[in-house]
Amino acid sequence: MRSLRAALVRFASLFDRARLDRELAAELESHLALHVDDNLRAGMTAAEARRQALLKLGGVAQVTERYRARRGLPWLENLIRDLGFGLRMLRRHPGFTAVAVLTLALGIGANTAIFSLVNAVLLRPLPFPDPDRLVLVWATDTKAGRMEDVASYPDFADWKAGSRSFAQMAAFTLRGMTIDGPEETERVRAVQATPGFFETLGVLPAQGRPFRPDEGEPGAGRVAVLGHAAWKRLFGGRPDVLGRTLRANEEIYTVIGVMPPGFRVSFSPGPAEQIYVPLLRDPNRNHGFLRVLGRLRPRVARPAAQAELDRLTAALAQEYPDSNASTGARAVPLGEAVAGRARTALLILLGVVTLVLLIACTNVASLFLARSVARQKELALRAALGAGRGRLLQQMITESLLLAGAGGALGLLLAHPAAALLARRLAQSFDVPRIESTGTDGGVLAFTLLVSLATGLLFGSVFSPVHASGPLDRALRESSRTSTGGVRGRRLRSLLVVTETALALVLLAAAGLLLRHLWVLRATPPGFQPGHLLTASLVPPDKKYAEAPRRRRLIAELQSRAAALPGARSAALLTNLPLTDNWDSLGFRIAGQADPASGEPLSANFNVVSPGYFRTMGIPMLNGREMTPQDTAGAPGAIVVNETAARRFWPGKDPVGERILLPDEEGTDQTWTVVGVAGDVRQMGLAHEPHPEIFLNALQPTPAWPMTLVLRTSGDPAALAGPLKRLVRSVDRDVPVMEVRTLDEVLGASLAEPRVYALLVGLFAALALALAAVGIYGVVSYTVTWRTPEMGVRLALGADRSAIVRLVLRNGLALALTGTAIGLAGSLLVVRLFTRWMPGATTNPAWTLAAVAALLLAVALAATWLPARRASRVDPAIALRWE
Amino acid sequence: MKEIKADVWQGTLALMVLKTLDTLGPLHGYGIARRIEQTSGDLLEVNYGTLYPALLKLEQEGFIAAEWGVSENNRKAKFYKLTRAGRKQLDKAARDWERTTAIIARFFAPEEAS
Repeated sequence: MRSLRAALVRFASLFDRARLDRELAAELESHLALHVDDNLRAGMTAAEARRQALLKLGGVAQVTERYRARRGLPWLENLIRDLGFGLRMLRRHPGFTAVAVLTLALGIGANTAIFSLVNAVLLRPLPFPDPDRLVLVWATDTKAGRMEDVASYPDFADWKAGSRSFAQMAAFTLRGMTIDGPEETERVRAVQATPGFFETLGVLPAQGRPFRPDEGEPGAGRVAVLGHAAWKRLFGGRPDVLGRTLRANEEIYTVIGVMPPGFRVSFSPGPAEQIYVPLLRDPNRNHGFLRVLGRLRPRVARPAAQAELDRLTAALAQEYPDSNASTGARAVPLGEAVAGRARTALLILLGVVTLVLLIACTNVASLFLARSVARQKELALRAALGAGRGRLLQQMITESLLLAGAGGALGLLLAHPAAALLARRLAQSFDVPRIESTGTDGGVLAFTLLVSLATGLLFGSVFSPVHASGPLDRALRESSRTSTGGVRGRRLRSLLVVTETALALVLLAAAGLLLRHLWVLRATPPGFQPGHLLTASLVPPDKKYAEAPRRRRLIAELQSRAAALPGARSAALLTNLPLTDNWDSLGFRIAGQADPASGEPLSANFNVVSPGYFRTMGIPMLNGREMTPQDTAGAPGAIVVNETAARRFWPGKDPVGERILLPDEEGTDQTWTVVGVAGDVRQMGLAHEPHPEIFLNALQPTPAWPMTLVLRTSGDPAALAGPLKRLVRSVDRDVPVMEVRTLDEVLGASLAEPRVYALLVGLFAALALALAAVGIYGVVSYTVTWRTPEMGVRLALGADRSAIVRLVLRNGLALALTGTAIGLAGSLLVVRLFTRWMPGATTNPAWTLAAVAALLLAVALAATWLPARRASRVDPAIALRWE
Repeated sequence: MKEIKADVWQGTLALMVLKTLDTLGPLHGYGIARRIEQTSGDLLEVNYGTLYPALLKLEQEGFIAAEWGVSENNRKAKFYKLTRAGRKQLDKAARDWERTTAIIARFFAPEEAS
């Protein structure tokens, strides 16, 4: 209480210093007068009386100083004075200030921008109550090395029944549903979930009720909970929606609830799910299709739940060795599961920008040191006048914090639009959950503030001239240019330049690897002719086309009518479009060959295609023929294999005429004859070597339906998108058309991820290179200035000007080479990380590393050349007179 | 005196100032300094100047109040007087002091046969 009152009085006194000073002076004068009176009475002379009084008081200046320290708040006054002084210093050196602030703004801005993304995607809590207790339980398959697999219904039911760690557990699957929209049949996002799903997430319908337990059993009536947007759109937001019906996937569903606005389960870019329907019990333990969600009981930690799941899955593996021998379960925090692959990518980017910031810091520290020589006399003078080393350090840190603060503010301004741009770019390129919510919030502001503070403290205290200049008083005694006081500073600066060169090389190596990877991918032939191709996905209703003949008729009609469109040359259908990361694999046997010793059937990817597929895609037939309309349901089964399959399964032999056995839907083997060998296509993406692939004929009995249409056009394929949609609608308006794209777009999309990484890391590496160049230029040109008298002497003694240039170049290049060598060592780490992160990138890193090292050295050489030339033009007479 | 730590000295000095003002009534800085010097003998061999920051602190804490006035030999001087809070503080400090000295005294008393 008393000290608070005192603090307030002290603070108030800051605004009335002049009057208070006058009053103190008057008081001390009166004190002296009273003392002098007494001394005179004691018989002293006037002069002696005053001298004794002053002595006893202890010096007016000293008393005033101590009195002032008590009167105000010295630390605050110092801070204000330091700030004012710092601002004056920064204003007096606008070049230094501009370079430092800009450098820091770039470093801090880059960090803030990436952090905004990290914040949106990884850090913000999921919009469910108590999200920290939610986990996603993946099935794992230790034998196949799959750590994030879907679970079967019986496994889920056993986990749920056997575990005590979870307050609630539910399973769901994300899927599309075809509904009757306001205008046409449309395909919407939907969720199939077990009863208890909404309760587990902790969000109940805003109207109506969640699923009842009996609604998850086969034979229950069809009910649906609508998403908020679907309620608005399909039912006009009418309040009496409960009990109304909705046609979805050709079935009638009764609406039992509407979710609150903002509720969603899938966080991938795009609209929220529109319909939630119950997931029915499925007795097949081999059918994995579920994601399992659990809410941990209070005070149960995830490792404990994991241990319990481990025990459960071990027991299940014993009980059901056929299906569960290698099945485990792995509980991960839901937030982490949602972020998925984006997590690694963002963390790597965050690492990259941290390196950029370190380089920026090194640069500014180097600038600070350069000024240290100029300021040594000032500092020494202030030390001599009584400023403690701590006080001087405080002044330096205030200045660096001012710089960092300005850099941080500018960085924030730069980061805001940059983050928005990045978010848009990333969302376009690939599936980054929750990226639309990127923005500048309190977390981002706090991050920027913290980074700015840390940055300011780093280069302000660690690299402060107060440390660098050695004993302060020596500076006063020495003349500036020939002093040795700069040696330590110069060494420190050299160290800084080596550090930033090394850091820049690491970044360049990363960028180089990514660029090279992208380049290799772009040069990889996809195996087909992507120009003049249009593709679309069709989703025929299951029930209407349950019978194979009807479906085949649909395929045939779509194919012939699409091929007849004006501007179209040919058309075909297939199950899995190349480059889209979709594929199915199938076990089979070769007729007349014994099963492999392992007892497991041979396995290959398969694709069901309509006749004309290879011609339409421009895939060369290496041998034999492709399927024709004559290979009908009644005719012997005709298949085409790709080159890799031919080599793998029939080494040294022509596979045409060979037969394979494939189990049909009932499990009995059907014989198919190879009629042709097609060229390899990069089915799983350009980065992946082709797998053996078998093409089945869509017009014959097959295990899957080809519903992706490809259309070869004579002109611009995009122009046929509209006509194609209209055509499908006219064939059957119940068949929704989705993802109408050109194959060039598909090709581009398959490269989007590596491209965006190459772009981002390349950008940051370029920034790092520029900063390193500035750093090298700075230190070399400083050295040149410092050694000008020596150069003068050398020139005067007849040294060749080119020798001077060589001398300076050697100095700069030595630094750059050292940095490059250290950086190369660091790059090996990047190479390791990169190969783990981008499996399939098989290029030899040695050339890339050599190339980026050469680039860095070239830039270093250029940055050294300018000061070197300046050194060679020194006029010896002026240089010698400099002292 | 030199062995006494600065904060202890500050606290002691503050207490002596309060007691002086309690005994003598309103008094200027010089008067307080002389009084403390006389009472404590040669204990107060420090400069009178150290008194002023201590007076300022007491004033900031509201224990004493200052007013310009005229001294007995007609000099303008700043007079300090005890406030009500200062009197309470002095009572409390005196009690604390007595309790402390009593404890210490018992502690150092010659051991009795037991």
